[in-house]
Amino acid sequence: MGRSIKKGPFVDQHLQVKIDAAKAAKSKTPIKTWSRRSMITPDFVGLTFNVHNGKIFNPVFVTENMVGHRLGEFSLTRTFKKHGAHTAKAEAK
Amino acid sequence: MARIVGVEIPGEKRIDIALRYIYGIGPSNAKVILAKAQIDPALRAKDLNEQQLSQIVHAIQDGKYIIEGDLRRELGMNLKRLQGIKCYRGIRHLRGLPVRGQRTSTNARTRKGPRKTVGVQRNPNAKTGIH
Repeated sequence: MGRSIKKGPFVDQHLQVKIDAAKAAKSKTPIKTWSRRSMITPDFVGLTFNVHNGKIFNPVFVTENMVGHRLGEFSLTRTFKKHGAHTAKAEAK
Repeated sequence: MARIVGVEIPGEKRIDIALRYIYGIGPSNAKVILAKAQIDPALRAKDLNEQQLSQIVHAIQDGKYIIEGDLRRELGMNLKRLQGIKCYRGIRHLRGLPVRGQRTSTNARTRKGPRKTVGVQRNPNAKTGIH
């Protein structure tokens, strides 16, 4: 079941505070966050977030298309494993 | 043989079945369209006259159904959007793996295609000690 519209999109309070501050200061420095569950709202657009994936912080530049997704969707938590040797020649195939 | 909305050529079938040959029209849409055009669904597609055909075409166009090329394009755009923003779902589509969290250790053959056994690919630099 989806979330009730009445409540609006979920954004962690501590993240919202940081966003409001960045918007007010017009700063472009990346916002470090662990809040992967926060939904991207239109006020996120144009900001860069460093989203934690459990180990490191991945930079995510938010564009208009991303509205409605969650921050965690852009910071993968798993390493994609392939078979075989990863040489430049094999990668080119 | 009859033509409805451009290229569709449904054969000697009941018209409610024949309409389903149009991409984007399934059993329930076909029923609604025929009810709106006031045509007996048991008629064969070849027995329809010009006027009845145009009634069907009107019913389809007025109903704002997204069919054929437009529908295919819309689906393609949805995929492209997901892939363009590099979100998890888009990446799974790019790699041809299941998108909705299914297991991939076994199964997932619908997405991954036929099994392909990968032998050992030796790193040509292994002997020289470069990795």
